[in-house]
Amino acid sequence: MEEDPREVRGRSADWAFIESLPPRLREALKYYIEAGDMYVASRIAGLTVEEFNELRIRANIPNVA
Amino acid sequence: MSRSFAIADTCFLIDWARYRGRDLLFKLYVVYVPESVLREVKSESTIAWIASRLASGDLALFTETESEVEEARSIVERSRRMPNMPGVDLPEAVCIAVGRRRGYVVLTENRGALKFVELAEDYAGVTIRRSLEILLQLQLRGHCGDPALRFREYEEDTKHLFPRKDLLNAVAVIRRELCGEAQEVGGA
Repeated sequence: MEEDPREVRGRSADWAFIESLPPRLREALKYYIEAGDMYVASRIAGLTVEEFNELRIRANIPNVA
Repeated sequence: MSRSFAIADTCFLIDWARYRGRDLLFKLYVVYVPESVLREVKSESTIAWIASRLASGDLALFTETESEVEEARSIVERSRRMPNMPGVDLPEAVCIAVGRRRGYVVLTENRGALKFVELAEDYAGVTIRRSLEILLQLQLRGHCGDPALRFREYEEDTKHLFPRKDLLNAVAVIRRELCGEAQEVGGA
């Protein structure tokens, strides 16, 4: 049985790093962990999609798709 | 062998920009890049890659028309009304609209986009390809080697994890087609 992508993202995430970020970036990463939607997450963060993708990788959140 | 036209959304393109085998994509497709996707790219290395591939003709710029964007908005709205459906965002929706109108293959990882063309009868003719399927197609043109290597390298470079079941199925196809192993393709 395929694992829930939300759980995979949340388990792998570096939560200490996420919590250390300014609110917009922090909430955007939390949204991404929950929804997996990089475009919307990038808009929440106020970043381009590529910039948000770099942030996602720094936060150790896998793109599960 | 002549290449098909495809159109890529943002997440697909920035993942491939990070992949060590990124130029393999052009063995299969000439890839259109919508202007809206180009605006989402910021890093020097990705811009340099895109610019060089635009110059070589492997990538081509796609300027969305108002009518295509309007159709894309309608796709977004329809996807939001479908029950248990991951939403389709405007960039993917533009690719789906262009895929329907011009017959381009749509390159995206967006689950909503995949589901939408499955469920919306008027978009049933749109072909969507994810990276997993493209890597499989590329591997099938080569030799057996390590059947999982290309997928593993892609996952390492992009921090993009393929669904395990789909990955196991793809590796099983390679083992059967290239390595001559008689294996069941199916559930893991």
